[in-house]
Amino acid sequence: MTGLLTSWGEWLPRLLEGLVTSVELTAASLLLGIPLGLVLALLSSSRTRAVRWAAIALVEIGRGTPALVMLQFVYYGLPSAGLSLTAFVSAVAALSLTTAGYTSEILRGGLQAVPAGETEAAGALGMSHRDTLRFVVVPQGVRIALPSLMGFAILIFQATSLTFTISVVELLSQAYSIGAATFRYLDVLVLAGLLYLAVTIPAGLLTNRTERRLSRHL
Amino acid sequence: MEVLEAVLLGVPVTLLVTVAALALGAVLAVPLAAARRSRVVPLRWLGRVVIDVVRGIPPVVWLFLIFFGLGRDLIRLEPIEAGIIGLGVISAGYLAEIYRGGLSAVHAGQWEAASALGMGGTDTLVRVVAPQAFRVSLPAVTTYAISLLKDSTIVSAIGVSEILFRATQSARSTGAGLTPFFVAAAVYILLSAPLAWLSRGLDARLRARVAR
Amino acid sequence: MSAVAQEPAVVLDRIHKQFGDLVVVRDVSLTVARGEVVAIIGPSGSGKSTLLRCINLLERADSGRVEVVGRAVEPGAGVAGRDLAALRRSVGMVFQSFNLFPHMTVLRNVSLPQERVLGRSRAEADARSRQLLERVGLAAKADTYPSRCSGGQQQRVAIARALALDPEVMLFDEPTSALDPELGLEVLAVMRELAADGMTMVVVTHEIHFAADVADRVVVMADGAVLEEGTPEQVLRSPSTERARRFLSAVVDR
Repeated sequence: MTGLLTSWGEWLPRLLEGLVTSVELTAASLLLGIPLGLVLALLSSSRTRAVRWAAIALVEIGRGTPALVMLQFVYYGLPSAGLSLTAFVSAVAALSLTTAGYTSEILRGGLQAVPAGETEAAGALGMSHRDTLRFVVVPQGVRIALPSLMGFAILIFQATSLTFTISVVELLSQAYSIGAATFRYLDVLVLAGLLYLAVTIPAGLLTNRTERRLSRHL
Repeated sequence: MEVLEAVLLGVPVTLLVTVAALALGAVLAVPLAAARRSRVVPLRWLGRVVIDVVRGIPPVVWLFLIFFGLGRDLIRLEPIEAGIIGLGVISAGYLAEIYRGGLSAVHAGQWEAASALGMGGTDTLVRVVAPQAFRVSLPAVTTYAISLLKDSTIVSAIGVSEILFRATQSARSTGAGLTPFFVAAAVYILLSAPLAWLSRGLDARLRARVAR
Repeated sequence: MSAVAQEPAVVLDRIHKQFGDLVVVRDVSLTVARGEVVAIIGPSGSGKSTLLRCINLLERADSGRVEVVGRAVEPGAGVAGRDLAALRRSVGMVFQSFNLFPHMTVLRNVSLPQERVLGRSRAEADARSRQLLERVGLAAKADTYPSRCSGGQQQRVAIARALALDPEVMLFDEPTSALDPELGLEVLAVMRELAADGMTMVVVTHEIHFAADVADRVVVMADGAVLEEGTPEQVLRSPSTERARRFLSAVVDR
């Protein structure tokens, strides 16, 4: 047992380094993906049919394509179309597209949950369509969607482990290379698993708490 | 054409992994859901911890734990076996929560009515509550099955030659560039479309039947 | 009085509205003078709410003409954005379900439309809001959220919010129907005051007493048409049609 703990202590710095990369990947994908998702959510109810269809198509591609396929496509596929990206940038690009697809559906649900009476009241008060979206619908829609967005953020954090396949040096990748060097795969992978849990379990609790708190003013 | 052929060879493997993992998960989820709703507090906590741990570790990490961790030292596993076990365990965690949701959606009055009629606990569960819970859960289960179909791509990371594995291979070996990925994406959409269609149809029918 | 003051506040001319095959309002004409309070009553499904919503174009009439303080539009032929904005600005509306914005405080609810629609500064808007909240008896609630207010309080905030835009006409769509009788009374009291101050009001309501006491004119609608129209005494005491008599006895005997 002490042997295991000593090894874990030796490996921990490298694994933590990987974890930082995983968290950076998550943050970058969310920062790019969620605003794009919001734009797609708004455009998917546009009055112009061509715009609406284009938005829906993008959403379906983002959601329908497995994250791993998206990653492989961007990293191995795009260079043949003349676009070579580094592994990290490829990972952010692919995970952002996936994020945009999923969060646009989550946000669309949130926007639709805003009672129609409030939009009507804003209209009766003479507020423009744009103002109604900006001040009434979007703030509430995002707030309603927040717990689901947080839940999704946990999933995308887990999905960063897939970027190992395009040689991003994140947590799983670090664990695997330690395993390959020491042949102690089980020991190091268990520690990696615990590190993932150290993020996902508190994040899950926070999500539940947010869900309960937000139900107050709605 | 070569590309299409190569990718299509992966379809049976993808389907086998998805169906087997779903079946394994559906069975393992039953005791987990039961533990979550048990009257014995430690059992309830144990159920919760297991579910949180199963769902809190990324699927590909599970696959590595099982394939490289257990597989190297303890039991020899083929990649496909490790893939099915890994995805099955994860499915059990998600399906247990779906079952639990279904059970709690059944009105408490049903338990009361059954016990007022003199039915025992097990009888009530099996004959009254479970059938209703099943209907309530079914749409969520089909939705999960669709996401599992897509998640099954990750077994390619431990060398199972399913759709994505073959697509990547053909992209690298033939220099076909983007084509294999478009083909793979199209195949996934084609495979999940009937499931999505089925789930929408089931949802509508069950909603009509379990009228509240 | 000058000639301008005599110009009617609202003119509805042969308004027709149908949803699919269902005719909801059938060629209804109605004129509301400035300062007049008109109560529209009738059984549910009679088209009275739809008629009211045709005034501020929440529903676009299929044919007919809507004129509010001298500005006329023909909804069936399309409405320019500028005309719609001008019309909405001069007409305030109060809904059955209050429709306050739940993510804003009471004060922000009243101030935001003033800032966005009238271009008032935040300070100006807040000052006006506080004045109006005082008037509806809710000065103390300015910084709370709608969910912390009773239904009656929410409805009074909604009235203040509409008044803050200095409308020339106020529309009320069953303003007390979602409230307990006791809470309805506080809303009706505010409406009475408003009427006494000379506001032009069109009120769709089930409150026969309010109609009898406050309205200058009562309109009875059924099946998308006006059955009776006249002073409260005429209409409520001695209705001339059998259909109106049946409806009124059902309401009054309650």
